[in-house]
Amino acid sequence: MKWILFAWKNVMRNKRRSLTAMLITAMGTAAVLIGGGFALFTYESLEEMTARDSGHVVLAAQRGFDNDEDVPLQHGLSGAAALAAHYAAQPGVRAVAPRIQFSGLVSNGDKSAVFIGSGVDPDVDFRLRGPQLDFVAGEAPGPSEAVPEIVIGDELATLMKVKVGGSLTLLGTTTEGNLNAVDAVVRGIVKTGVPEIDRRLVMTDIRAVQRLLLTDKVGSLAIYLKDTAQTEAMAAQVKSTHPELAVRTWRDLAVFYQAVRALYNRIFGILGLIMVVIVAFAMSNTLGMAVVERTREIGTLRAIGTQPGEVVRNFVLEGAAIGTAGAVIGMLAAGATTLVLLFAGLEMPPPPGRSIGYPLLLSFSPPLYLGATLVVVALAAAAAWFVSRRAAHKPITEALSHV
Amino acid sequence: MNAPTLELAVRASTVRLTDLRKRYRVGDDWAEALKGVSLAAAAGEMVALTGPSGSGKSTLLNLAGLIDTQDSGTREIGGKPVDGLDDAALTNLRREQVGFIFQGFNLVPVMNVADNVEYPLLLLGRPPAERRRKVAEILERTGLAGLAGRLPDALSGGQRQRVAIARALVKSPSLVIADEPTANLDSHTAQQIVDLLRELSHERGAAVVVATHDERMSAHCDRVLRLADGELLTGELQ
Repeated sequence: MKWILFAWKNVMRNKRRSLTAMLITAMGTAAVLIGGGFALFTYESLEEMTARDSGHVVLAAQRGFDNDEDVPLQHGLSGAAALAAHYAAQPGVRAVAPRIQFSGLVSNGDKSAVFIGSGVDPDVDFRLRGPQLDFVAGEAPGPSEAVPEIVIGDELATLMKVKVGGSLTLLGTTTEGNLNAVDAVVRGIVKTGVPEIDRRLVMTDIRAVQRLLLTDKVGSLAIYLKDTAQTEAMAAQVKSTHPELAVRTWRDLAVFYQAVRALYNRIFGILGLIMVVIVAFAMSNTLGMAVVERTREIGTLRAIGTQPGEVVRNFVLEGAAIGTAGAVIGMLAAGATTLVLLFAGLEMPPPPGRSIGYPLLLSFSPPLYLGATLVVVALAAAAAWFVSRRAAHKPITEALSHV
Repeated sequence: MNAPTLELAVRASTVRLTDLRKRYRVGDDWAEALKGVSLAAAAGEMVALTGPSGSGKSTLLNLAGLIDTQDSGTREIGGKPVDGLDDAALTNLRREQVGFIFQGFNLVPVMNVADNVEYPLLLLGRPPAERRRKVAEILERTGLAGLAGRLPDALSGGQRQRVAIARALVKSPSLVIADEPTANLDSHTAQQIVDLLRELSHERGAAVVVATHDERMSAHCDRVLRLADGELLTGELQ
């Protein structure tokens, strides 16, 4: 305790210089925590978005994910209802949603456009997707009626000049390779935030799609879990229970998430590295000056029996004290920024390829805060070690005659 | 030609330096700081080293205080040879057995009087209760009891040198090295410091080797050794 007190008194010996080093350390810590908090929030948001879109664990028949079908649902999944019931009964499962991805032409009688469709269970899917689907008009479709209800993207609605209540015809290729058509009523218009999707999106009851494609198969079953962290465990369970099925997790299917994560990891990794260099320079400069100024004192302490290692330890404690103070100030600044952003309601502009921005929020991560603090303190201590070890081993007579 | 060697210890020597030689490089040449000097000092004895600047006093003090190494000759502390010990062992020896008093006081400015005096005991790992007791005792003896919480900057020169004496003697070393301890003090204060150093070293059985130009200082020493050009000229028992 005496040594820590001694170190702190030495830190306070030149208040202005120590304060400058603390503030630089604090800014570095805050920058890393704010940048890291933003990256974590983005990862969490994308994880949730991806998991809401695809489901946490997705099952299909063997080759169901291969995208090499000659006709729709050539590798479709039979007996989906029994499988869905089985997994819906498992602990930790929130819901199981059957899906069919299909495509074709949509026509308003005057003109046609290519659509990419999803056959879904309306009761389950629209509830699970939550805020990811922004209804700009109308609402989610009900169960399949004689005339099925559909939800379409807002740009497709503009292209087809159709409003809620309007009628469109869907043309698709059946599982036998023939053309089939079905009339549908527009029940809702949505915006996903991705113009490319909004220009082609059609969603409807999976039973209507099965009627259009003339099949009772489904493309896949999406298992939604209560806890995303259980994804791998559930995937393993499915693989052992139904080894004949192909299994993918949301992470396997999340190309955009993986790309963003890789990009942000690099950006914020470089930012962190720059901060490490800045903090190291600031600490080396501050403590280096202190070492030079106190060379005579070091000589005195050595003469009266202080080992070189103990001299270095004193400087390391000083460095750690400055680092700790700076890290604490930085954590407080980052925490305050996190809180302010929570209530400020600021938005980030839409990312490339998207038309909707997203909230500017920071995640508060105790491991990130702890890790950043440990790195900063260790860095400060290492800088102190580096600049003091030479002075501590200087010949005592030389140190005592230092002016 | 060998320089004169003087062996004047009258009791068992605390420090014994034999035929010490030391030279320094000055530009392209070598300057001989000590030319075979021998010295012994016994417990409780106070030995003054006098001589003009450059005569080798400081070099001899540094060698006696184990903060420098000679080119040749031998050193013993408490009857044990110290040459050949590594830096860590020499540091431990200084920690346990040698006290230093510097001309410029050399107190640690961020430590108050009590902390400065306590520091050597802290290095020795003495328990807190013992440290407090010894510090209080020596501060009382040096007339600093009321100044324990003051920083060195708030003290006069005489008070600072008292703190330095207290720091040197608090661990009851067998040897005290003092380099011009009265040089920065007025005559009245210098007299007090000389008296205090003599009293405490006798009381604690420490041998004191003091380099000085101050005749009042040397007048109070048991012996005065004169150095010139790195050679010991004479010795007197007072």
